Amino acid sequence: MERTWLDNAFWETPKKRILNCISEHIDEEGRIVRKVMKLKEQHPQFKECVDFLGEDVIDAYTKERKERKFLETELEREKDAEQQRARKLEKLFKYKLETFEIPEIKSTTNRKLKSKLRRSRSIPEVNLYAMMILQESLKDE
Amino acid sequence: MNKGFIVVASRKNNFYIYAINLIESIKDFYPEVHVTLVTEERFLDGREDIADNIIFCDDHYRAKLWGMANSPYDITMYVDADMECEHEDIMTVWDNLGDNDMVFHELTEERSKYYTIRHFDIENKEKEGWFSLCGGVCLYRSSNPLVKEFMNEWYELYDLQHSNLWRPDCFTNDKQWNSLKKFDQTTLWYMVNRMDKYKDLKIGFFHDDIRWNYFTQYQYENLKSIENKPVILRHYSGCLEKDKALV
Repeated sequence: MERTWLDNAFWETPKKRILNCISEHIDEEGRIVRKVMKLKEQHPQFKECVDFLGEDVIDAYTKERKERKFLETELEREKDAEQQRARKLEKLFKYKLETFEIPEIKSTTNRKLKSKLRRSRSIPEVNLYAMMILQESLKDE
Repeated sequence: MNKGFIVVASRKNNFYIYAINLIESIKDFYPEVHVTLVTEERFLDGREDIADNIIFCDDHYRAKLWGMANSPYDITMYVDADMECEHEDIMTVWDNLGDNDMVFHELTEERSKYYTIRHFDIENKEKEGWFSLCGGVCLYRSSNPLVKEFMNEWYELYDLQHSNLWRPDCFTNDKQWNSLKKFDQTTLWYMVNRMDKYKDLKIGFFHDDIRWNYFTQYQYENLKSIENKPVILRHYSGCLEKDKALV
Protein backbone atom coordinates (compact mmCIF):
# COMPACT_ATOMS: atom_id res chain seq x y z
CA MET A 1 0.00 0.00 0.00
CA GLU A 2 1.55 3.26 -1.10
CA ARG A 3 0.85 6.05 1.33
CA THR A 4 1.22 9.76 0.66
CA TRP A 5 0.85 12.73 2.99
CA LEU A 6 -1.09 15.97 2.43
CA ASP A 7 1.08 19.06 2.63
CA ASN A 8 -1.05 20.66 5.37
CA ALA A 9 0.66 18.84 8.24
CA PHE A 10 1.59 21.01 11.21
CA TRP A 11 3.39 20.76 14.54
CA GLU A 12 1.07 20.62 17.53
CA THR A 13 3.78 21.79 19.91
CA PRO A 14 6.72 24.22 19.57
CA LYS A 15 9.14 21.39 20.31
CA LYS A 16 7.84 19.51 17.23
CA ARG A 17 7.07 16.32 19.15
CA ILE A 18 3.48 15.92 18.02
CA LEU A 19 2.53 16.10 14.38
CA ASN A 20 -0.97 16.65 13.07
CA CYS A 21 -1.21 15.24 9.55
CA ILE A 22 -3.40 13.56 6.95
CA SER A 23 -2.37 10.40 5.11
CA GLU A 24 -3.85 9.25 1.83
CA HIS A 25 -3.88 5.84 0.16
CA ILE A 26 -5.92 3.85 -2.33
CA ASP A 27 -7.70 0.79 -0.91
CA GLU A 28 -8.34 -2.58 -2.63
CA GLU A 29 -11.52 -1.23 -4.23
CA GLY A 30 -9.73 1.76 -5.70
CA ARG A 31 -11.18 4.30 -3.30
CA ILE A 32 -9.09 7.14 -1.92
CA VAL A 33 -8.87 6.82 1.86
CA ARG A 34 -7.77 9.74 4.01
CA LYS A 35 -6.83 9.47 7.67
CA VAL A 36 -6.37 12.38 10.02
CA MET A 37 -3.69 11.56 12.57
CA LYS A 38 -2.05 13.08 15.57
CA LEU A 39 1.33 11.35 15.78
CA LYS A 40 3.80 11.34 18.62
CA GLU A 41 7.52 11.42 17.88
CA GLN A 42 7.97 7.74 18.71
CA HIS A 43 5.26 6.62 16.25
CA PRO A 44 6.79 5.04 13.10
CA GLN A 45 4.57 7.05 10.77
CA PHE A 46 5.83 10.28 12.37
CA LYS A 47 9.19 9.86 10.67
CA GLU A 48 7.55 8.61 7.49
CA CYS A 49 5.47 11.77 7.20
CA VAL A 50 8.38 14.11 8.04
CA ASP A 51 10.59 12.38 5.49
CA PHE A 52 7.83 12.51 2.87
CA LEU A 53 6.97 16.21 3.27
CA GLY A 54 10.24 17.59 4.61
CA GLU A 55 10.56 19.54 7.86
CA ASP A 56 10.63 22.91 6.05
CA VAL A 57 7.21 22.32 4.50
CA ILE A 58 5.74 21.40 7.88
CA ASP A 59 7.41 24.42 9.52
CA ALA A 60 6.06 26.75 6.85
CA TYR A 61 2.50 25.41 7.11
CA THR A 62 2.63 25.51 10.93
CA LYS A 63 3.63 29.17 10.76
CA GLU A 64 0.96 30.03 8.19
CA ARG A 65 -1.71 28.19 10.19
CA LYS A 66 -0.71 29.90 13.42
CA GLU A 67 -0.96 33.31 11.79
CA ARG A 68 -4.32 32.46 10.23
CA LYS A 69 -5.70 31.16 13.52
CA PHE A 70 -4.47 34.29 15.28
CA LEU A 71 -6.25 36.51 12.74
CA GLU A 72 -9.44 34.43 12.98
CA THR A 73 -9.43 34.72 16.76
CA GLU A 74 -8.83 38.45 16.56
CA LEU A 75 -11.68 38.85 14.09
CA GLU A 76 -13.98 36.79 16.28
CA ARG A 77 -13.01 38.82 19.33
CA GLU A 78 -13.63 42.06 17.45
CA LYS A 79 -17.01 40.75 16.29
CA ASP A 80 -17.98 39.80 19.83
CA ALA A 81 -16.99 43.24 21.10
CA GLU A 82 -19.02 44.90 18.32
CA GLN A 83 -21.98 42.71 19.12
CA GLN A 84 -21.82 43.74 22.75
CA ARG A 85 -21.58 47.38 21.73
CA ALA A 86 -24.62 46.95 19.46
CA ARG A 87 -26.67 45.30 22.23
CA LYS A 88 -25.72 48.12 24.58
CA LEU A 89 -26.75 50.68 22.01
CA GLU A 90 -30.11 48.96 21.49
CA LYS A 91 -30.70 48.91 25.24
CA LEU A 92 -29.71 52.56 25.47
CA PHE A 93 -32.09 53.50 22.66
CA LYS A 94 -35.01 51.80 24.40
CA TYR A 95 -34.07 53.47 27.67
CA LYS A 96 -34.02 56.88 25.98
CA LEU A 97 -37.44 56.30 24.43
CA GLU A 98 -38.82 55.45 27.86
CA THR A 99 -37.19 58.55 29.32
CA PHE A 100 -38.78 60.71 26.64
CA GLU A 101 -42.16 59.48 27.88
CA ILE A 102 -41.70 61.06 31.33
CA PRO A 103 -44.36 63.84 31.26
CA GLU A 104 -41.93 66.69 32.06
CA ILE A 105 -39.51 65.54 29.37
CA LYS A 106 -42.28 64.85 26.92
CA SER A 107 -43.52 68.43 27.23
CA THR A 108 -40.21 70.25 27.53
CA THR A 109 -39.53 72.99 25.03
CA ASN A 110 -35.81 72.92 25.80
CA ARG A 111 -34.66 71.38 22.54
CA LYS A 112 -31.01 71.79 23.47
CA LEU A 113 -31.26 69.60 26.58
CA LYS A 114 -33.51 67.11 24.83
CA SER A 115 -30.97 66.85 22.05
CA LYS A 116 -28.15 66.32 24.57
CA LEU A 117 -30.23 63.57 26.17
CA ARG A 118 -30.76 61.92 22.79
CA ARG A 119 -27.03 62.00 22.01
CA SER A 120 -26.07 60.53 25.39
CA ARG A 121 -23.69 57.60 25.13
CA SER A 122 -24.67 55.90 28.39
CA ILE A 123 -27.59 55.45 30.78
CA PRO A 124 -26.02 57.65 33.51
CA GLU A 125 -25.63 60.42 30.94
CA VAL A 126 -29.29 60.05 29.95
CA ASN A 127 -30.25 60.29 33.62
CA LEU A 128 -28.17 63.40 34.06
CA TYR A 129 -29.90 65.29 31.25
CA ALA A 130 -33.28 63.96 32.33
CA MET A 131 -32.62 65.40 35.80
CA MET A 132 -31.67 68.75 34.29
CA ILE A 133 -34.94 68.87 32.34
CA LEU A 134 -36.91 67.91 35.46
CA GLN A 135 -35.14 70.59 37.51
CA GLU A 136 -35.95 73.16 34.88
CA SER A 137 -39.59 72.11 34.90
CA LEU A 138 -39.72 72.35 38.73
CA LYS A 139 -38.24 75.85 38.55
CA ASP A 140 -40.96 76.88 36.13
CA GLU A 141 -43.73 75.65 38.44
CA MET B 1 -37.58 72.67 -6.09
CA ASN B 2 -38.85 71.76 -2.64
CA LYS B 3 -37.33 68.88 -0.77
CA GLY B 4 -38.33 67.20 2.43
CA PHE B 5 -38.46 64.13 4.59
CA ILE B 6 -41.47 61.86 5.08
CA VAL B 7 -41.94 59.80 8.23
CA VAL B 8 -44.96 57.54 8.63
CA ALA B 9 -46.44 56.38 11.96
CA SER B 10 -49.63 54.38 11.89
CA ARG B 11 -51.43 51.48 13.58
CA LYS B 12 -49.44 51.49 16.80
CA ASN B 13 -48.75 54.35 19.17
CA ASN B 14 -45.14 53.23 19.52
CA PHE B 15 -44.53 54.17 15.90
CA TYR B 16 -45.67 57.71 16.70
CA ILE B 17 -43.15 57.81 19.58
CA TYR B 18 -40.39 56.47 17.32
CA ALA B 19 -41.35 58.96 14.60
CA ILE B 20 -41.20 61.96 16.94
CA ASN B 21 -37.78 60.86 18.14
CA LEU B 22 -36.60 60.38 14.57
CA ILE B 23 -37.82 63.79 13.41
CA GLU B 24 -36.25 65.49 16.42
CA SER B 25 -32.98 63.68 15.78
CA ILE B 26 -32.98 64.75 12.12
CA LYS B 27 -33.65 68.34 13.17
CA ASP B 28 -30.85 68.17 15.76
CA PHE B 29 -28.43 67.98 12.83
CA TYR B 30 -30.42 69.63 10.07
CA PRO B 31 -32.70 72.23 11.69
CA GLU B 32 -33.90 73.86 8.49
CA VAL B 33 -35.07 70.66 6.83
CA HIS B 34 -38.77 70.30 6.07
CA VAL B 35 -40.40 67.18 7.51
CA THR B 36 -43.86 65.75 6.93
CA LEU B 37 -45.32 63.36 9.47
CA VAL B 38 -47.94 61.00 8.11
CA THR B 39 -49.89 59.68 11.06
CA GLU B 40 -53.28 58.93 12.58
CA GLU B 41 -55.06 61.78 14.37
CA ARG B 42 -55.63 59.64 17.48
CA PHE B 43 -51.90 59.55 18.24
CA LEU B 44 -51.30 63.30 18.41
CA ASP B 45 -50.07 64.52 21.81
CA GLY B 46 -48.55 67.91 21.06
CA ARG B 47 -45.11 66.62 20.12
CA GLU B 48 -46.14 66.47 16.48
CA ASP B 49 -45.35 70.21 16.36
CA ILE B 50 -41.77 69.24 15.58
CA ALA B 51 -43.00 68.29 12.09
CA ASP B 52 -43.52 71.07 9.57
CA ASN B 53 -46.48 69.37 8.02
CA ILE B 54 -48.91 66.69 9.10
CA ILE B 55 -50.89 64.41 6.82
CA PHE B 56 -53.47 62.13 8.34
CA CYS B 57 -53.65 58.54 7.23
CA ASP B 58 -55.74 55.56 8.28
CA ASP B 59 -54.51 52.47 10.10
CA HIS B 60 -53.65 50.55 6.93
CA TYR B 61 -50.97 47.89 7.33
CA ARG B 62 -48.80 49.70 4.83
CA ALA B 63 -49.67 53.35 5.39
CA LYS B 64 -45.97 53.78 4.65
CA LEU B 65 -46.58 53.26 0.94
CA TRP B 66 -49.61 55.53 0.95
CA GLY B 67 -47.53 58.19 2.68
CA MET B 68 -44.73 57.83 0.15
CA ALA B 69 -47.22 58.22 -2.68
CA ASN B 70 -48.68 61.36 -1.11
CA SER B 71 -45.48 63.29 -0.58
CA PRO B 72 -45.94 67.07 -0.83
CA TYR B 73 -42.34 67.49 -2.02
CA ASP B 74 -40.62 67.45 -5.41
CA ILE B 75 -37.81 65.38 -3.96
CA THR B 76 -38.61 63.19 -1.00
CA MET B 77 -36.55 61.27 1.49
CA TYR B 78 -38.64 58.56 3.13
CA VAL B 79 -37.26 57.15 6.39
CA ASP B 80 -38.72 54.30 8.49
CA ALA B 81 -39.99 55.65 11.81
CA ASP B 82 -37.91 53.29 13.97
CA MET B 83 -34.66 54.94 12.99
CA GLU B 84 -32.56 57.69 14.51
CA CYS B 85 -30.29 60.25 12.94
CA GLU B 86 -26.77 60.38 14.35
CA HIS B 87 -24.73 62.50 12.01
CA GLU B 88 -24.64 65.88 10.33
CA ASP B 89 -24.07 64.26 6.93
CA ILE B 90 -27.85 63.91 6.90
CA MET B 91 -27.69 67.33 5.22
CA THR B 92 -26.01 65.76 2.20
CA VAL B 93 -28.90 63.40 1.58
CA TRP B 94 -30.06 65.17 -1.60
CA ASP B 95 -26.67 64.67 -3.28
CA ASN B 96 -27.43 60.96 -3.46
CA LEU B 97 -30.18 61.35 -6.01
CA GLY B 98 -27.91 62.35 -8.91
CA ASP B 99 -29.82 61.59 -12.09
CA ASN B 100 -31.73 58.71 -10.50
CA ASP B 101 -35.47 58.63 -9.96
CA MET B 102 -35.25 56.48 -6.87
CA VAL B 103 -32.42 55.58 -4.54
CA PHE B 104 -32.45 52.74 -2.03
CA HIS B 105 -30.33 50.88 0.49
CA GLU B 106 -28.90 47.73 -1.04
CA LEU B 107 -29.62 44.29 0.26
CA THR B 108 -26.31 42.55 -0.39
CA GLU B 109 -25.33 38.93 0.23
CA GLU B 110 -23.20 40.06 3.17
CA ARG B 111 -26.21 41.74 4.78
CA SER B 112 -28.74 39.06 3.89
CA LYS B 113 -28.43 37.22 7.20
CA TYR B 114 -30.70 39.81 8.77
CA TYR B 115 -33.49 39.67 6.22
CA THR B 116 -36.27 37.11 6.24
CA ILE B 117 -36.09 36.26 2.54
CA ARG B 118 -33.49 37.10 -0.05
CA HIS B 119 -33.75 34.49 -2.81
CA PHE B 120 -36.96 33.00 -4.16
CA ASP B 121 -38.18 30.91 -7.08
CA ILE B 122 -39.42 32.55 -10.25
CA GLU B 123 -41.25 30.69 -13.03
CA ASN B 124 -40.30 27.39 -11.41
CA LYS B 125 -36.61 28.28 -11.52
CA GLU B 126 -35.05 27.85 -8.14
CA LYS B 127 -33.72 31.02 -6.52
CA GLU B 128 -34.05 32.92 -9.80
CA GLY B 129 -35.37 35.99 -8.05
CA TRP B 130 -33.74 37.96 -5.28
CA PHE B 131 -34.45 41.11 -3.36
CA SER B 132 -31.79 43.73 -3.70
CA LEU B 133 -33.73 46.86 -2.79
CA CYS B 134 -34.43 47.59 0.85
CA GLY B 135 -37.15 50.17 1.45
CA GLY B 136 -36.10 51.27 4.93
CA VAL B 137 -35.01 54.51 3.34
CA CYS B 138 -35.90 55.77 -0.10
CA LEU B 139 -34.92 59.00 -1.79
CA TYR B 140 -37.11 59.69 -4.79
CA ARG B 141 -38.09 62.26 -7.36
CA SER B 142 -41.70 62.64 -6.33
CA SER B 143 -42.28 65.41 -8.88
CA ASN B 144 -41.77 62.91 -11.70
CA PRO B 145 -45.27 61.72 -12.71
CA LEU B 146 -43.98 58.21 -13.42
CA VAL B 147 -42.44 57.98 -9.95
CA LYS B 148 -45.69 59.24 -8.45
CA GLU B 149 -47.58 56.60 -10.40
CA PHE B 150 -45.06 54.00 -9.25
CA MET B 151 -45.58 54.90 -5.60
CA ASN B 152 -49.37 54.86 -5.96
CA GLU B 153 -49.30 51.53 -7.71
CA TRP B 154 -46.88 50.10 -5.18
CA TYR B 155 -49.43 50.87 -2.48
CA GLU B 156 -52.41 49.61 -4.50
CA LEU B 157 -50.79 46.37 -5.64
CA TYR B 158 -49.41 45.64 -2.22
CA ASP B 159 -52.86 46.13 -0.76
CA LEU B 160 -54.25 43.57 -3.21
CA GLN B 161 -51.33 41.22 -2.66
CA HIS B 162 -51.74 41.36 1.09
CA SER B 163 -55.48 40.68 0.76
CA ASN B 164 -54.85 37.64 -1.46
CA LEU B 165 -56.38 39.41 -4.47
CA TRP B 166 -53.24 39.67 -6.56
CA ARG B 167 -50.51 37.16 -7.26
CA PRO B 168 -48.34 37.52 -10.35
CA ASP B 169 -47.92 34.28 -12.33
CA CYS B 170 -44.15 34.38 -12.03
CA PHE B 171 -44.32 33.51 -8.32
CA THR B 172 -44.82 29.81 -8.86
CA ASN B 173 -43.81 28.40 -5.50
CA ASP B 174 -46.93 28.23 -3.29
CA LYS B 175 -45.06 27.69 -0.07
CA GLN B 176 -42.79 30.66 -0.70
CA TRP B 177 -45.70 32.82 -1.77
CA ASN B 178 -47.22 32.52 1.69
CA SER B 179 -44.20 34.39 3.01
CA LEU B 180 -43.57 36.59 -0.01
CA LYS B 181 -47.08 38.02 -0.06
CA LYS B 182 -46.50 39.66 3.31
CA PHE B 183 -43.70 41.85 2.03
CA ASP B 184 -44.02 45.13 0.17
CA GLN B 185 -40.56 44.23 -1.16
CA THR B 186 -42.22 41.50 -3.23
CA THR B 187 -44.44 44.09 -4.92
CA LEU B 188 -41.44 46.33 -5.38
CA TRP B 189 -39.46 43.50 -6.98
CA TYR B 190 -42.29 42.74 -9.38
CA MET B 191 -42.78 46.36 -10.38
CA VAL B 192 -39.08 46.97 -10.98
CA ASN B 193 -38.37 43.67 -12.73
CA ARG B 194 -41.57 42.75 -14.52
CA MET B 195 -43.57 45.87 -15.31
CA ASP B 196 -42.65 47.40 -18.65
CA LYS B 197 -44.02 50.82 -17.90
CA TYR B 198 -41.46 51.32 -15.15
CA LYS B 199 -38.45 49.95 -17.00
CA ASP B 200 -37.11 53.42 -17.77
CA LEU B 201 -37.07 54.53 -14.16
CA LYS B 202 -33.53 55.02 -12.97
CA ILE B 203 -32.96 53.22 -9.72
CA GLY B 204 -29.78 53.51 -7.72
CA PHE B 205 -28.26 53.14 -4.29
CA PHE B 206 -27.06 55.67 -1.74
CA HIS B 207 -23.35 56.29 -1.83
CA ASP B 208 -21.79 54.19 0.95
CA ASP B 209 -25.37 53.12 1.55
CA ILE B 210 -24.76 51.30 4.84
CA ARG B 211 -24.48 54.71 6.51
CA TRP B 212 -28.03 55.58 5.49
CA ASN B 213 -29.80 52.54 6.90
CA TYR B 214 -27.56 50.91 9.45
CA PHE B 215 -29.53 48.08 11.04
CA THR B 216 -28.26 47.57 14.56
CA GLN B 217 -27.72 43.90 13.68
CA TYR B 218 -25.12 44.91 11.07
CA GLN B 219 -22.87 45.72 13.99
CA TYR B 220 -23.14 42.12 15.24
CA GLU B 221 -21.16 41.19 12.12
CA ASN B 222 -18.97 44.27 12.36
CA LEU B 223 -20.22 45.53 8.99
CA LYS B 224 -18.81 48.96 8.30
CA SER B 225 -19.03 51.88 5.91
CA ILE B 226 -16.77 51.43 2.89
CA GLU B 227 -15.19 54.79 3.69
CA ASN B 228 -15.05 53.99 7.38
CA LYS B 229 -17.40 56.88 8.11
CA PRO B 230 -19.94 57.09 10.94
CA VAL B 231 -23.53 55.98 10.70
CA ILE B 232 -26.02 58.65 9.60
CA LEU B 233 -29.29 56.81 10.18
CA ARG B 234 -29.41 53.84 12.54
CA HIS B 235 -32.29 51.40 12.20
CA TYR B 236 -33.61 49.82 15.39
CA SER B 237 -36.33 47.66 13.89
CA GLY B 238 -34.80 44.39 15.02
CA CYS B 239 -34.74 45.20 18.72
CA LEU B 240 -37.96 47.08 19.40
CA GLU B 241 -41.11 45.54 20.83
CA LYS B 242 -43.56 47.45 18.74
CA ASP B 243 -46.71 46.07 20.35
CA LYS B 244 -45.66 46.61 23.93
CA ALA B 245 -46.40 49.96 25.57
CA LEU B 246 -43.14 51.81 26.27
CA VAL B 247 -44.17 52.87 29.75
